[in-house]
Amino acid sequence: MSAASAQEPAIPGKSPMILHNDRPEDLEMPPPYFDQWITPNDKFFVRQHIPRPEVKAESFRLAVNGLVAKQLELKIEDLRKLPQHKIVATLECTGNGRGFFRPRVPGIQWARGAIGNAEWSGPRISEILKLAGAKMDAAFLESDGADVGVARTPDFIRSLPMKKALDPATLLALDMNGQPIPQIHGFPTRLIVPGWDGTSWMKWVIRLTVAAEANKGFFMNPAYRYPKFARPPGSPPVPAELEVIEGMLVKSAITRPSEDDKVGMGPLAIGGYAWAGEQKIMRVEVSLDGGAKWKDAVLTPQNLNYAWRLWKLNWTPPKPGYYTILSRATDSAGNVQPIVAQWNPSGYLYNAIDRVGITVEKSA
Amino acid sequence: MRRLWIVLPAGLLAGSLFGADMDIAAAKKEEQRECVACHGLRFIHSQRLSKTAWGKELDKMAGWGAQMKDRELLLEYLSSEYSDAKPVPQDPLSSDGSKQK
Repeated sequence: MSAASAQEPAIPGKSPMILHNDRPEDLEMPPPYFDQWITPNDKFFVRQHIPRPEVKAESFRLAVNGLVAKQLELKIEDLRKLPQHKIVATLECTGNGRGFFRPRVPGIQWARGAIGNAEWSGPRISEILKLAGAKMDAAFLESDGADVGVARTPDFIRSLPMKKALDPATLLALDMNGQPIPQIHGFPTRLIVPGWDGTSWMKWVIRLTVAAEANKGFFMNPAYRYPKFARPPGSPPVPAELEVIEGMLVKSAITRPSEDDKVGMGPLAIGGYAWAGEQKIMRVEVSLDGGAKWKDAVLTPQNLNYAWRLWKLNWTPPKPGYYTILSRATDSAGNVQPIVAQWNPSGYLYNAIDRVGITVEKSA
Repeated sequence: MRRLWIVLPAGLLAGSLFGADMDIAAAKKEEQRECVACHGLRFIHSQRLSKTAWGKELDKMAGWGAQMKDRELLLEYLSSEYSDAKPVPQDPLSSDGSKQK
């Protein structure tokens, strides 16, 4: 990783982050920050499709409409008066790890750091919909943020199946780690869809519409879809075979050491994160010999659906040389990380066993 | 005006590319004019794509309102400067803005 450079822009509210795009900001969490179970707001990754809006607290209104008995226009105070619920949940960009796919695919070339874990709080979506007398058996809940496309760039609008929207864990968060959500993360309202891809976690939410059908805009189709049937790497997408992504796959990653690190003889702390969408992480194994033998890593104690676990393994290399370190996670449904992630034209859901090569040098 | 001569290893020289020259200054100007209205150049320059994939990206952007005066020049420039054969750049860290509001 390169060092912070004074020539690069500072992003207000953000510690130095890997800068993939400065306008709008797309920021990846660098490996050294993966040392806390709760990711602080200043270190949390940022993905924006279109420039972020300046939402003012005073003029903010959330419209609740569509298949409802009573349309609502809610202020922040109205949302704060509803029962507030807290959940710790991991948020991962649908394209995290895209940079590892071969052949390469267009999009932000994320490595391991488009992911973070925070405590979110706010009212349940189900409670907001109850206020409006929503038709609870409608199929979808459409959400729109205050951001709007530049030129003819499409507006970012998403539909969530109502079953997931009504899940008690699905919130309209007002707070992130005990603070009002920072503007760059969606102030004042962000949809929290635990276990699902970051694309579902709408920021700056200004409209919730109860609908019989899913939105047909770009960000529902063709974007953020995954092939129903795998095709050889490099194959063009087959639109009829693409399905909306719902949820994330079991995954672990190594955040220390880093690729090509040189270390001396002596104890080495190996560590990373693991999560599994709606499942829990049950096990992370590490191999220090390219996958011939595996050892269990020690996991952080919180074992929750929707939240990651950090893991570590202390290891003393037996002799100098080049080592290939691998990590492999298993979730509560018995899913194990694959050796090879399924290539797909947009580079979503990368979850292959992680791999880092280091050189252990003779001590001076 | 600076001109870029595409140099390929001898074994890879293809008839259509041999000696092809490109007005890189004009290409960069076109890129500035066309692309930065919506997003920074850093995002473009971190991609490593085949010519076919760059062509698809240009078509997508045209659909979203980009009005390219010289699509061929832009395509030639992007697919030579940011081809999938080139090494991947290491994106830098931003400066510390954690104390700023």
